[in-house]
Amino acid sequence: MDKRLFSYINWGLLACMLLLYFLGVGNLYSASGTRLGEGLAFAGFYQRQLIWGVCGLVCMLLAMSFDYRQLRNLAWPFFLVTLALLLLVPVAGKTVYGAKRWLSLGFMSIQPSELAKLAVLVLAARLLARDGRALGWKDFMAVLAVGLVPSALVITQPDLGTTLMILLILGGMILFHGVKGYVLKTCLLAAPCAAAFMWFVGMHDYQRQRILTFLDPGNDPRGTGYHILQSRIAIGSGQLWGKGFGEGTQSQLRFLPERHSDFAVAVFGEEWGFAGCVALVTLFCLFLLAIFSTAVQAKDRFGSMLVVGVFFYFFWQIFINMGMVIGLMPVVGIPLPFISYGGSATLVNFTLLGIVLNVSMRRFMFKG
Amino acid sequence: MMKRSKRLSAPETPDAQAHKKEGDRSWLKIQMDSEGYQPPRGGVILLQVLVGLLFFVFVVRFWYLQVHRGEEFARQAQENRLRLERIFAPRGRILDDRDKVLADNRTAYGLSLTREDCHDIPATLAQISLWSGIPLPQIWEKYHQDRFKVKSFEPLLLITDIDFDLVARIESEIYAWPGLEIVVRTKRSYPEKELFAHVLGYVAEANEQEMSNDPALAMGDLVGKQGLELELEKQLRGHKGLYDVEVDAHARVLGKTLREEPRGGHEMRLSLDRGLQQAAWDALGGAAGCVVVMEPDSGKLRALVTSPAYDNNLFAAGISQRDWDALRTSKRFPLQNRVIQSVYPPGSVWKLVMAALFLERGISPRESVFCSGQVKLGNQIFRCWKRGGHGSMNMESSLINSCDVYFYLLAERLGIDKLEEFAKASGFGKPTGIDLPHEKSGLVPSRQWKKRRFGRPWVRGETYNVSIGQGYTLVTPVQVAVYVAAMLNGGDLLKPQLLDDAPRVVQSRIPAKPETFRFVVDAMRKTAGVGTARVVGRKDADMGGKTGTAQVVKLKMAAGDRRLRSSEMEYAQRDHAWIATWGAKNGKSYVVVVMVEHGGGGSSVAGPVAKKVYDYLFGPDTGAPPPAAPPAARRQTGEERAN
Repeated sequence: MDKRLFSYINWGLLACMLLLYFLGVGNLYSASGTRLGEGLAFAGFYQRQLIWGVCGLVCMLLAMSFDYRQLRNLAWPFFLVTLALLLLVPVAGKTVYGAKRWLSLGFMSIQPSELAKLAVLVLAARLLARDGRALGWKDFMAVLAVGLVPSALVITQPDLGTTLMILLILGGMILFHGVKGYVLKTCLLAAPCAAAFMWFVGMHDYQRQRILTFLDPGNDPRGTGYHILQSRIAIGSGQLWGKGFGEGTQSQLRFLPERHSDFAVAVFGEEWGFAGCVALVTLFCLFLLAIFSTAVQAKDRFGSMLVVGVFFYFFWQIFINMGMVIGLMPVVGIPLPFISYGGSATLVNFTLLGIVLNVSMRRFMFKG
Repeated sequence: MMKRSKRLSAPETPDAQAHKKEGDRSWLKIQMDSEGYQPPRGGVILLQVLVGLLFFVFVVRFWYLQVHRGEEFARQAQENRLRLERIFAPRGRILDDRDKVLADNRTAYGLSLTREDCHDIPATLAQISLWSGIPLPQIWEKYHQDRFKVKSFEPLLLITDIDFDLVARIESEIYAWPGLEIVVRTKRSYPEKELFAHVLGYVAEANEQEMSNDPALAMGDLVGKQGLELELEKQLRGHKGLYDVEVDAHARVLGKTLREEPRGGHEMRLSLDRGLQQAAWDALGGAAGCVVVMEPDSGKLRALVTSPAYDNNLFAAGISQRDWDALRTSKRFPLQNRVIQSVYPPGSVWKLVMAALFLERGISPRESVFCSGQVKLGNQIFRCWKRGGHGSMNMESSLINSCDVYFYLLAERLGIDKLEEFAKASGFGKPTGIDLPHEKSGLVPSRQWKKRRFGRPWVRGETYNVSIGQGYTLVTPVQVAVYVAAMLNGGDLLKPQLLDDAPRVVQSRIPAKPETFRFVVDAMRKTAGVGTARVVGRKDADMGGKTGTAQVVKLKMAAGDRRLRSSEMEYAQRDHAWIATWGAKNGKSYVVVVMVEHGGGGSSVAGPVAKKVYDYLFGPDTGAPPPAAPPAARRQTGEERAN
């Protein structure tokens, strides 16, 4: 690999990403602390997140090491293998907490639904990269089918969060690429019908309950509403300047549920206050803009579409997770990139950013 | 825009040329865009708008939560963290007049379960059953009953009163059972058991209704349910202390600071005498009945015995269903406090009320009536208890001999309305106001009452029955004691007091002249000397009494039939035996009323009980004449009888 490639790396993106990652580790350190009588006891979440981060960096370098355009050739095989794995899940999967999502490979378990997000992203990028014309009905349906087929398999596991992510990433990419006006209008009209269909047919009772609770959390303060109320108390009690690092009573005294994973940002909000939250949101926006700049600078449509896919991958997670924690969204199990603890999520995040950096690195190549 | 123009100029740079070469060398055939790629304009705008929207929405929302409503949430976080914990205050003890402890506190150990900390509730409950020997279904039942009364992170008391050896054993094994905890509670104990059960009542855990009525009560608190424990709840309970407790979300305690000291309840001393109570209890000898001993001048009660009774410790420890059913369904009604909660026809004791009425209505005590043994009213025959009749009777001799005919005829002359009015003014037909729950009123019948109750008018024969304390008339033993005390103290109907320091409370006065009271007292003295109440008479004290034998069932007797003896009747049909007495010695005077349910004759059954009570009060009869009779009695014997 040419060393000069590095000079084209999107350093701004890399800086944002590393800053977010270390903020996340620091926040996990605080969230892991639990006061037991005198002093603090720490769970090992932040240490494990550090190890996952190192693994993630290796994945990122691997994702940068080859020319991203090879992914175009791998798109279909990757997609088909993923579909095969998804079909295997109901037959050979493990049941955890009432849902069948995992395939055991003996030495480790994988979640094919996680792969499905990536497979759809890459294949959609390939399909949308064929030309720059706005999509008519035929093309639109073809691209949509790429998302709907794995979604149908994932939602039966059941895994509403991942299904939502697949469709939202795909939708973002399609919108970015552009669709014909009449297609867009029809879709906008059809959306409420689809939502109603989901509500009455596609959802489990507990999922409906979550949405109802989101609309009125005071209704059930000890049950489903507890998460929302406690997280709002945590964030709100941070006030302007926060309670200080490691001083959050809501998290230290374990009133805040899921404070390592989905509600990690509430710990941050409690300890760093409004000032810290604005800084974090700004950082996330800079991070997204860095990805965006790579998308517009990319040399070819495929690279650009790939990066747009990654943009939406992060955008929706940030939007949904933070929205949920501060009570703008119903509780959906979607983690916040870099801030929430999660091994495989960290690996995927770093790998996807590796692909973005790959595209940014190679933006001057093969220009004929 | 800047960036894009830079990109467009890029192909001319040498770097780009180098990259192109490298690309050609690539081992994989790569498809290239033939023309320069331009990102879709709409898409570029969309992404920028989305990022802007994200920033705007979240910053505004964070501002709203953290700055606009920040203080409110900060307060809620504080409330989450700090909890108030109550410190139990010891309940006041109850003592008798010589400081003998009647109700005490003892330490009891219990086992509680915190659901949230318990990983395997069925296994844990099974282990509790193994330790305690309590059958598993019973523990499950208790668990299901109380599960939702406490929050999942609060301890749920499952068993109480574990003995100390078992506590030691559980303590050594409890580490293996998360969620279980040994709790220390104070329990009430009643060393005198049955003897004071009806007076003291008992405490038990507060129920939901009591908790909702009284915010100071919490789950597991003891509260008085019966007797003085109920009546004196406010004084006995004391005031809980408070800790500020810092807790985490699992209610684990991180630190405590004392906010308010607990204050123990007041110790209450009763006017009752444990020894006298025991003597009266023994005198009853297990018969169903009751004894009231009262000081006529102060209204203080010295003994209040009802038999049979129950062991109130059973309730304080949490009574089992089997024990409860046994008490509830017993034919001898051990849960009934016969002194205040049972009503009986007073029988001849009632003649004390009638005699006072006659005097107040201007009937001369010297007017005499001939008793032939019966009176005819229409085709009804009203008998005197003495078959052959008493002959000529005046007021005094009719009381001494308890002649029924005298009272039939004079009551008939006054009519039921006057009887009713005076009886009610004498404290009958309404509670005496004693500080014990569920006191009965008894019944003084009247024309209106009969109309209301039976829809029929009053008939004259019923006045006959009322005059000798039969028919509809019903009284409680304590009402009789209060009446007799009023005779001695000059007409004050006193509230019967149970506390040593209780004041003298006059509920009302009997509307009668002092001479009337003196006459009744003197007649009682003579009855105890030579009349039907001879059994209580003694030489070393000034004594008075009146017996009563109250018919339970109206036995239809044709003329010539003899009255059946008690022993020949079914228990439930036997007469109630009454005796109402007073005694004075060494300046101390007492009223003693004894009632033996279905005991038979007043003088033969109730009398000996009263005698034993006086033997305890005055010691065995020395035979020596009383050193000084009480002033009221002395005056009566002197001047009044000469009139």
